Amino acid sequence: MIKLSTLFWLIVVSTTGFAMFAVKYGVQSLEDELNRTKKAIIAEEHAIRADEAEWAYLTRPETLDEMNRRHLSLGPIVTKQLRSTFTDIPLRAATPAAVDAPLVTVVEPPAEGAPATILASTIAPASPGKPAEAPELAKPSPAKAFAKPALPRRPRSLDELIAQVTAGR
Amino acid sequence: MTAAQRYDDNPCRPRHFKPPPCAAIVPDGPARLALEACRTRLLVTGTLFALVFAVVALRVVEIVAVGGGTAESQVGRFRIVTASVPSHADIVDRNRNVLAATLDSPSLYANPKQIVDAAEATNRLVKVFPTLGAAEVYAKLTSGKSFVWIKRHLTPAEQYDVNQLGIPGLEFEHEERRVYPDGGLTSHVIGYTGIDNAGFAGVERGLDSLLQGRREPLQLSLDLRLQYILREELQRVVADFTAKGGAGLIMDVNTGEILSMISLPDFDPNRPVAPDPQHPDIPLADRMFNRITLGVYELGSIFKIFTVAMALDAGTSTISSTYDASHPIRIGRFTISDYHGKRRVLSVPEILMYSSNIGAARMAVAAGSQTQREFLARLGLLKAPKIEVSEVGTPHYPPKWREVNVMTIAFGHGVSVTPLSFATAAAALVNGGILRQATLIKLPDGRAPQGQQVISAKTSEQMRRLMRLVVEHGTGTMAAAPGYVVGGKTGTADKVSGKHYAERKLLSSFVGVFPINDPKYLVLTMVDEPHPNKQSHGYATAGWTVAPATSRIIERIAPLLGVQPVDESSPEVRRALMVESLQGKRIEAY
Repeated sequence: MIKLSTLFWLIVVSTTGFAMFAVKYGVQSLEDELNRTKKAIIAEEHAIRADEAEWAYLTRPETLDEMNRRHLSLGPIVTKQLRSTFTDIPLRAATPAAVDAPLVTVVEPPAEGAPATILASTIAPASPGKPAEAPELAKPSPAKAFAKPALPRRPRSLDELIAQVTAGR
Repeated sequence: MTAAQRYDDNPCRPRHFKPPPCAAIVPDGPARLALEACRTRLLVTGTLFALVFAVVALRVVEIVAVGGGTAESQVGRFRIVTASVPSHADIVDRNRNVLAATLDSPSLYANPKQIVDAAEATNRLVKVFPTLGAAEVYAKLTSGKSFVWIKRHLTPAEQYDVNQLGIPGLEFEHEERRVYPDGGLTSHVIGYTGIDNAGFAGVERGLDSLLQGRREPLQLSLDLRLQYILREELQRVVADFTAKGGAGLIMDVNTGEILSMISLPDFDPNRPVAPDPQHPDIPLADRMFNRITLGVYELGSIFKIFTVAMALDAGTSTISSTYDASHPIRIGRFTISDYHGKRRVLSVPEILMYSSNIGAARMAVAAGSQTQREFLARLGLLKAPKIEVSEVGTPHYPPKWREVNVMTIAFGHGVSVTPLSFATAAAALVNGGILRQATLIKLPDGRAPQGQQVISAKTSEQMRRLMRLVVEHGTGTMAAAPGYVVGGKTGTADKVSGKHYAERKLLSSFVGVFPINDPKYLVLTMVDEPHPNKQSHGYATAGWTVAPATSRIIERIAPLLGVQPVDESSPEVRRALMVESLQGKRIEAY
């Protein structure tokens, strides 16, 4: 004869036993997942570090200067281009002709005696029909493009740099 | 038959009915003793169990209700992966551009015992690494050992390629490598590291312990853009005048922060020992030498600002004092003469403006050797500078401060200091008289470190006026950068070679401050052994070499530093920089 209480306790024991193992395996799999995620985070962190270094490498002042020489030919800001007070800024020219001017002009300090004002054309917004294909931009003068002596082989990417570093040690 | 059995036989007995307890049978003799021993043991065991369960129950309560976190930390020690911290923290500039980074650099090794087909594996490995010799790799893979290095420090792309091969028995070992994205641009400041990423020079060595195990990057006061401009302009001067080297420094005069520090020739910290591809003949020691912090030089005439400041501050001269500079001074075996003598009596502003050695020597003699020595010590020129890089030079000065020493030191010969010490002291002369230690660490915005008042604010103001005069009318006219109100002083020193001064070997330097009416930044430029060229009309003096470079540097950096150009002829600027004793007089051109 099976006593009712015995049956009750049997059910309680098996349920708790099952629950305990279920929780245990649940925790284990969660821990595994946590570890996987943490490892993935670490891998991402390393990748971010590498990308940051690569970004720093690709945006070196030297590279930016070379790219500027090749594509933009922007010069340093000349004192005469700076205005200290609001009233010094000339009003925008009303003539629509200014819009056809190139978006970026090669910066040349104005000749001595010339009125030192910023022409509206230099700060005119780009019109949609006129993308940045002004002749000044498309082909920089050879003198400017090659003003700097050609450097010996520079690493193209961070990978190459690291490879050179390793070879050098 | 016991009583219980008898009761059970009764079919009508209710379920809850319990037989009444029998009268205790208390046996006598040994049986009784045994029973009592049993009871005691039961009691002890029961108590023990109760205690253990109580402990377990308490622990459960503690974990659940009081300190649940402790359990996880116990588990984590064995199982949970913790985030890895690189062995050395990154170094960034004041705009958070990366100057030095620690990157993962896996190394490839093989376990030859697990390699199935060594010949096949060799063929495929050599395709990924063309620099490896096939025979060598094959020998390694068939060596029968259980560990051989194939290649150290792979790039991420190489690691990917090796993973793509899918050869069993190839493994990666995690290693780190310090990378300097800007190469030579920051070489002398950052320094470089050796194996195990230990710092060997510069900030890497000076702050090695600080960088280790740090998670946050270290932010320097350096500005990469300024660094590039300064280096480019100095390279231009060195090339134009076929000089041996050059050096430059940009400093915030109000905080002591160094915004840029360049020493040429320099090296690539990624490959410190590799020869320079453009100048393979320059010796390594020369390229590693930091001329700003380690080099000590007799800086020549730029030292006259100290002589004038000393005399004005001590009260031995006033701005209208005059000194006879019509004849050279002969003292012992020395003759002190002027480079471009005016051959007349000069006032204090004129002595600085025309850079008169005779005048400066007479001023210093009037002040006395004790005053001069104390003044230089007060400005920190007689001890090695304190700076975050590991290379610092100790100044040279005469052990006995005789009259001839007083005279030569007045125009910058006889005392050798590092350009860094000079710049720190010069900043104190113009910023209101407060000496602040130079630093490469970025300070929190708007917080200037506690300084030391070394000259009076009035003397400092007079120095600003006098230094403006040098650029307006004196030897430094080529340093003018219209709108930025540059003030400064030129210095052309003869270099010592052996026991004598070499006539042809010069050290030309210029210290410039802008805007001098409200000093913000100091630019020190120096060129070692410049040779005259056609553009400079046969001169290699500071006024023709580094002064024009300073002008170009200031014109390029001022917009980046947010310095507004002003109208130099406006009454406010004129009034702020006027020298009373020269008012109404015609100023002779230099």
